[in-house]
Amino acid sequence: MDKKIALAKMLKEFETIASKGYREIASTFSKDCIPIGFFCPYVPEELIHAAGALPFRLMGTPIKMSHVQAHLPPNCCHLVKSSFESLLQGELDFLKGIIFSHTCDTMQGLADIWALQKRIPLQFNLMMPSHLDSEFSPPFLKAEIERFKSFLESHVGKISLSSLKGSIQLFNRIREKQREIYNYRAKGHQIISGIAFARIMRAGYLMDRERYHELLNDLLNWLPEEPESNDHLVPLYLAGNMTHSDSYFSLIEEAGAVVVQDDICSGSRFFRLMVPEDTNPIEGLTGRYLASYMCPTKYKGALAHIETLLREVQHSNAKGVIFLFYKYCESHFFDYPDLKQALESQGIPTLLLEVEDPSYSTEQLKIRIQAFVEMLSPF
Amino acid sequence: MEDFKSNENPYRKINSTSAYRRLMMAYYFMVKHPNWFGKKVAWITSGGPVEPLYAMGVLPFYPENYGAMCGASRMSVSLCEAAEHKGYSHDLCSYALTDIGSSLTGRGPLGKLPKPDFLICGNNICGTVIKWYELQARAFDVPLFFFDTPFIHEEMQDHTLRYVQNQIKAYIAFLEKQLRRPFSEKRFEQVCLNSFETITLWKEILDLPRHHPAPLAAFDAFIHMAPIVTLRGTRWAIYYYRKLKREMEERVKRGVGAFAREEIRLIWDNIPIWYDIRNLSKLLSSQGAVLVADTYTSAWAMDDLDQTQPLNGLAKAYAMIHLNRGLEYKIKKIANLVEQYGAHGFVMHSNRSCKPYSLGQLDLKREVTRLTGKPGLMIEADHTDSRSYAPKQVEKQIQLFLDIIRTKDKAI
Repeated sequence: MDKKIALAKMLKEFETIASKGYREIASTFSKDCIPIGFFCPYVPEELIHAAGALPFRLMGTPIKMSHVQAHLPPNCCHLVKSSFESLLQGELDFLKGIIFSHTCDTMQGLADIWALQKRIPLQFNLMMPSHLDSEFSPPFLKAEIERFKSFLESHVGKISLSSLKGSIQLFNRIREKQREIYNYRAKGHQIISGIAFARIMRAGYLMDRERYHELLNDLLNWLPEEPESNDHLVPLYLAGNMTHSDSYFSLIEEAGAVVVQDDICSGSRFFRLMVPEDTNPIEGLTGRYLASYMCPTKYKGALAHIETLLREVQHSNAKGVIFLFYKYCESHFFDYPDLKQALESQGIPTLLLEVEDPSYSTEQLKIRIQAFVEMLSPF
Repeated sequence: MEDFKSNENPYRKINSTSAYRRLMMAYYFMVKHPNWFGKKVAWITSGGPVEPLYAMGVLPFYPENYGAMCGASRMSVSLCEAAEHKGYSHDLCSYALTDIGSSLTGRGPLGKLPKPDFLICGNNICGTVIKWYELQARAFDVPLFFFDTPFIHEEMQDHTLRYVQNQIKAYIAFLEKQLRRPFSEKRFEQVCLNSFETITLWKEILDLPRHHPAPLAAFDAFIHMAPIVTLRGTRWAIYYYRKLKREMEERVKRGVGAFAREEIRLIWDNIPIWYDIRNLSKLLSSQGAVLVADTYTSAWAMDDLDQTQPLNGLAKAYAMIHLNRGLEYKIKKIANLVEQYGAHGFVMHSNRSCKPYSLGQLDLKREVTRLTGKPGLMIEADHTDSRSYAPKQVEKQIQLFLDIIRTKDKAI
């Protein structure tokens, strides 16, 4: 088969999942599928998968807000507002459960408001510690993960040692493949466009993970070994709490730049770290989720975020950093002035993009991204 | 509709206020000049465990309490703007912006504050303080101790209790390292006894408005809460609250209320609107409406304090304060306040700057009304930043709300 046709077919499968609304995606699930919703990378998806359920990530969809105002104040981020609106409109009625992980004050508040609705049969609040650097955090998180495992076993399905190990291996392999795709795009982006890339990433949180892994494998096998040169593109680092949306990556690409690395919520925060496979699975999960740092709601020392970001940006050879934040995200906005100053003192220019609803902001963002990329462009 | 501004002020002055002013002046004088007293200063969050600091002879300074002071003296807006000029978003908590602005400019009611020796941050009140204290630790280049108290959506788990209790021990070790002297159990026990007595006195004072008429309005409690926040654990706070309690008990005996007229009794939810307390108090008193209880000042009347094990008891009590509990708990608490204080309704401040307090209030309002049959009013503001406040609109809302209560309750 012609490589281009095969590639287009694979990308189409990612697109069919990633471009649909929640209810439409659910209509593609088999009858025995148990979708369990979650929001953030601090939920150990491996456990949900090992219990025989499908981890289904809520990443904020474009939706007309008509019910949410009766429950939430206006200064909540789009992810929280749109997800709750989806719940109230019945778009999430297919979920058998929802998992909240402790991150920011808004998510914490949402967890309780969500529970009051009693629309989703199961809810679990995983208390991820905020202190990642204390000797007391590992035993606490381990106990929380064990509590989560017991919850899943009581309400969803038995988690055997072998099923958990299998799930850990599967998610690790997915992370490896996603990293390969990132690396590939950093070398020559044209084959996988920005939109296609965002859809590949998003699909990985919504679809059957075995099938997703197969698709990633096929995709990597079909990609030409030597990507086209991207010397003419400005390498950028993308930081923030956004998930992969179709628009950002294509806007950056159209402006003449390429994202060579990120720390966004659905990007490298998911695949940066592996779960050790040669140890007790619960301890492995504890270690991995505690080591996962970059979310500003977590504390690992006053300088940790600055030092990590500086190191990563320098390592990526990015010429500039785009901060892409949800409006009203306190945790990110508190960090921003010091991060900006630290980067700019190293000669790395930055651009802040504050977005309320990702689907509405394209044209405003386009002009600002173009100006930023032109400033960095050597040509 | 009655114009409250033309009325004579029916508010009854509390005599202990002059002692309160002297006490707080002395406290802020020491905080402003710690070197004169040979003291080190730690900045601490309002829900942070202060007893170990007093036991080690360290002066605690509360940026939130200072933020309230800046708000009440209407200095917050310019300080917030200074922080925004540095790149901080207008949408951030105005206590934090006020503190950052004050640190950047050296301005505020106390002028330039001395650099803290270290910082103590407890996230039992919100996640905002983690970021706020992190950035101040960088700005001042001082050590930061972070006391992580996982949120309690339903029940506290055993491993959560162990986690917070272990951290209290780490906190002691941190203080020993910073101060280069050993922690004295004996001194700590004395400070805890003081703290427990202060908390008990504060609880008893807050219970007195159950009487009709209420001797103390929540707006008084907002002012007189400063010692329970800043001086908890000292003898000074005990002496002061004994005095205030005596005065309030005397009022109860004589049947004297906080306001000359008491026709409507209300509960307040959330942090006060610091820059408009006087105006709102005047409005309510002119209408014969008294805020008899609130959820904010009672946060320091810790319910679950095990006095037999000071260290472990403190850890548990600090992890279980009002703001660190789930919505079901808050619904029950407000419904209980409405019942216990014989309130006709409740007023909720939807506070743009405080998400842990404000998220869930809309559901809370509906649930409390369902449970008690009493109406609730939601007003929108910000605890210190008056740029997000429309006073005339709020006054109108309150007046309409009081009219509704009067119409509903024919006994008034």
